[in-house]
Amino acid sequence: MPSGTTEVVLDLPIENIWDFVSDMDKWAPLVPGYIEHEIISDMQSTWTFKGDIGIMQKTVKLQVDIKEWIEPTTVTFDLTGLNENFAGNGYFQADALSDHQTKMTGNLDITAKGMMGPMINAILKNFVPKTAEDLTNRIAEEIVAVNQ
Amino acid sequence: MLSKDKVTWDLETDVVVLGSGGAALTTAIRAADEGAEVVILEKSDEIGGTTAFSGGIPWIPENRYMKEKGIKDSFEEAKQYLSHLTGGSEPDPKLVDLYIHEGKHMIDYLYEKTPVRFSIPRGYGDYYANNPGGKNEGRSLDPEPFPLTKLGEWEHKIRRNPIFPPLTLAEGGASDPSKADFSLVAERMEKNITTMGRALIGGLFKTVLDFGVKTYLSTPGEELVMDDDGAVVGVRAVKDGEDFFVGARKGVMIASGGFEWNEELVNTFLSGPITHPQSPAYNEGDGLIMAMEAGAALGNMDSAWWSPAFVDPTIEYEGRVYNQIDSSARTMANSIMVNKSGKRFVNEGATYQDLPKAFYTYDQNTQTLANSGGAWMIFDQQLKDRALIVTMAPGEEAPDWVPQSDSIEGLAKQIDIEPEVLEETINHWNENARNHVDPDFGRGGLYFGNMATGGAGIEAMIGPIEKATFYALPVYQGALGTNGGPRIDEHGQVISLRGELIPGLYAAGNAAMGILGGAYPGAGGTIGPALTFGYLAGKHLANTANREL
Repeated sequence: MPSGTTEVVLDLPIENIWDFVSDMDKWAPLVPGYIEHEIISDMQSTWTFKGDIGIMQKTVKLQVDIKEWIEPTTVTFDLTGLNENFAGNGYFQADALSDHQTKMTGNLDITAKGMMGPMINAILKNFVPKTAEDLTNRIAEEIVAVNQ
Repeated sequence: MLSKDKVTWDLETDVVVLGSGGAALTTAIRAADEGAEVVILEKSDEIGGTTAFSGGIPWIPENRYMKEKGIKDSFEEAKQYLSHLTGGSEPDPKLVDLYIHEGKHMIDYLYEKTPVRFSIPRGYGDYYANNPGGKNEGRSLDPEPFPLTKLGEWEHKIRRNPIFPPLTLAEGGASDPSKADFSLVAERMEKNITTMGRALIGGLFKTVLDFGVKTYLSTPGEELVMDDDGAVVGVRAVKDGEDFFVGARKGVMIASGGFEWNEELVNTFLSGPITHPQSPAYNEGDGLIMAMEAGAALGNMDSAWWSPAFVDPTIEYEGRVYNQIDSSARTMANSIMVNKSGKRFVNEGATYQDLPKAFYTYDQNTQTLANSGGAWMIFDQQLKDRALIVTMAPGEEAPDWVPQSDSIEGLAKQIDIEPEVLEETINHWNENARNHVDPDFGRGGLYFGNMATGGAGIEAMIGPIEKATFYALPVYQGALGTNGGPRIDEHGQVISLRGELIPGLYAAGNAAMGILGGAYPGAGGTIGPALTFGYLAGKHLANTANREL
């Protein structure tokens, strides 16, 4: 099951982290290969991005359904492929280490299904952790930048 | 071209090879094996050219693997088979004979000198195996898996192949992906074990490395350097944005691919456009231009390795939408192909080399190429449910980029065809299809159509389009490569417009004149001659006397 988890510690209060992460429009362009997103409701959105899986680049459309929204620490979500047969989930977790320091954790877990699932999962095995890492790091860098 | 007097060499060697596909690497190996110092200049940042992008299958009569399996073959049978297909279109009949004679020796040579091994895929025959001299299996050789980890620091430099999963032909790598073992695919991907074109290139390149041949990536050859006597003595390449002059004491091999990505050259030489080339986009005719500048005579210029193209707009390769190769689904029952007027125009069971020739048929009544542009594959839910069609897996919903409707009328409107015409075409097809006949285009009568549909007989090839949902996929004019270039002799040496040899200049593969004219005898009809003439040229180059640079 392709998955990836990345942790980053930022020298910022948890409120600053939450302020940025809770507004999807702020970090959407930071998603690797981002093309567009549409907010359907508070709990649902659709995304289009181009994933570089080495052999080729694939434009993927997926739906994100928020499962938990616990301010200011936790967002969990489910992912469903709209043009491809895959599903997954993920979470964002912020943990206050002190008044001025926060640990930020990003997780993605995606599994391809169907006839070609085993092959695609072999490709995703590298792609998913790299995407989780890139996205978490980009968000962290942006949060630092906007709080300077 | 440049005069030698105006050049200061950055590097001197015996043999310069332009390109790194099958023809190029075979030349380099043979020349190095015969004692020459060889340098390879590759335009892109990956090794393998069109060969790595392909099935990697050479078509070779009388090869050692046939003998091992007890499959009988002879020069006479191969000659008889090829003569019918070429029909006199071959530029030099002597070279066809030479190919039959030498191809098997080339395979022996690769067996002895390289890790390249082949197997014979069961039931994968010549594309016209029922013609006199044809074989039901044996001449198309399937590269055995090769671990790219053996290439050390070059492991990740073999051109990526988005076409074929890492399965052999026998394992379903190209013939029927819907039956492929995708767990094996996953295992091979993790271990970087390749098959098909990448396996062939991997094995050849391992030998290139072992012989100490130096390879420069991202270093395109741009211009030949000639001396006062009209001999080619080197190349001006470009490396890191600067001119890079490489002198060749013995000669230069042009094996840098075809010209299918050069629109101007395609329009000049071919009978119509190649709108969707299915090869690496580096094949822009660089070698052809250099050879023409050197005064080369040309041959077979109106021919290409045709292949209908399909597109999944969500998949890109090297920054552009990837042109998918032929889909065997178009040969299967419950589907037809129509032109932009909604009429059938071809036997859909024809080979990928033959089918696209119908795109370029001139219609005297409309004074147009009536089948050029706007062709569609029309199929129904029955086919959708059982076949992998381009990237659509059976049992999965068709993506929104595929026109689809519950009625033929609705489908016709989506693809801008007169509904009455498409309905009439399909009603007529269905009427015959229920009796498993095609009096209009003879579908079901070709050996290839039967092979492509798994040898399951007429019902797998002809069936009505009658169960909603109905689908349409655009079919584009593609080519695996072009097939014309400088005329060559029996050593791969280039012949001038005056019929004389151009000293120091050689060509092979898609960069050279195709020796089989417009014929494509079976899988490997491109790579077979490419490897054979690379093998012949490498020896001749190495045994040419050194020139003063």
